Amino acid sequence: MAKVEAAQYGDRKVYSVSAFNRGVADWLSRLPTVWVEGEVTELRRQERWASVFFTLKDPADGACLSASMPRTQFDALRLDLADGERVHVYGRPELFEARGDFRFRALSIERFGLGDHLAALERLKRKLATEGLFERRRPLPRFPRRIGLVTGNDAAAKRDFLTAATTRFPPARIVTAETYVQGPRAAQAIVEAIGGLCELDDVDVIVLARGGGSFEDLLPFSDERLVRAVASCRVPIVSAVGHEQDTPLTDLAADHRASTPSLAARLVVPDADELRERLEQTRERLRRAPLLTVERKRARLEAAHGRLRALSPSATLERGYAVVRHGGRIVRGSGEIERGTRVDVELGRGGFGATVEETRE
Amino acid sequence: MKFEEAQRELERIVQQLESGQADLDDAIGLWERGEELYRVCAEKLDSAQGKIEELGRRVEAVRPAEPA
Repeated sequence: MAKVEAAQYGDRKVYSVSAFNRGVADWLSRLPTVWVEGEVTELRRQERWASVFFTLKDPADGACLSASMPRTQFDALRLDLADGERVHVYGRPELFEARGDFRFRALSIERFGLGDHLAALERLKRKLATEGLFERRRPLPRFPRRIGLVTGNDAAAKRDFLTAATTRFPPARIVTAETYVQGPRAAQAIVEAIGGLCELDDVDVIVLARGGGSFEDLLPFSDERLVRAVASCRVPIVSAVGHEQDTPLTDLAADHRASTPSLAARLVVPDADELRERLEQTRERLRRAPLLTVERKRARLEAAHGRLRALSPSATLERGYAVVRHGGRIVRGSGEIERGTRVDVELGRGGFGATVEETRE
Repeated sequence: MKFEEAQRELERIVQQLESGQADLDDAIGLWERGEELYRVCAEKLDSAQGKIEELGRRVEAVRPAEPA
């Protein structure tokens, strides 16, 4: 370690700026060479510069790290890096002494490969699953006041959704947020689009619609920022991100999934024809209900009446019985009358007066 | 008299007659009352049914046209 000169003021040791920077630079230079992962942004390369400059950004929280690499080395890699691309950078920390600027000195850069993406995705998936981000299954509104649609501009996915939704339910109100749906800027753009739609009070459900694409195309839909935004969204989210094998993490965090935008439309709007048919059926039942009541009551009444008629005394008299009265009272035994008593006899049809000839016990 | 009251009384009379406890005189009186109640009930049902059918025809007349 180089000795750093300090001036002495009484018992106070004071460093010059230059000496301090040199000292810190010396400390930093002893840190090990490491791999750092991040997204490349603000890449600045000019022929007259000895170094290429860029910023490495942490996609999770936006933390930044200034980095530089000798231009000849950078050019030799032939990476053709685009803004926002994810890379692994091998290097060590360094202090640019003249300015006191801290930066990461890159010795090598590797583009994040498919295998790296898969491994990172799997790690992220496990982490977010542990946090319970994949368990939201909120019910969809039966009649959404307004549907938020996040989609690429002029995408077939957008057209498919709008056509399917308005065919199925003509009064559907849809507010579309067009955004990037692939590339390094897509994740943040989609997060912002969702946020914008959430600010509209009457948006009751949000649909993310994107046609199928390659694994790389769909990577934004597995971006941690987007997955978190989907999981914490104010309204239920339907994910309709075209895919065949790999399920984007957004799909897991969404409340509902549809394999195509048209199927997503079926989830978020009711079928107007079906509603109309059900209304007609209900009306038919309503129409029949009172008559049904009358019919039931009539059946019960007729049953009582049938029993009443079976009990009718006239029916009994009709069968050949007679009622004998004496002084208006019914005679039930021969002890109530005697020879010569005037009685009145009632028959099924008519009757007659009579005098008792004899009585029997 | 309400339909339900008349119906209940009719059924009570039928039960009373079926039990065979009533005197013949009473039985005749009960039977006559029963027939009267039946007539009242049947008229009420006829009138209700007529009203419902009339209302049904009126509602049918203002049925909205099927949307294209």
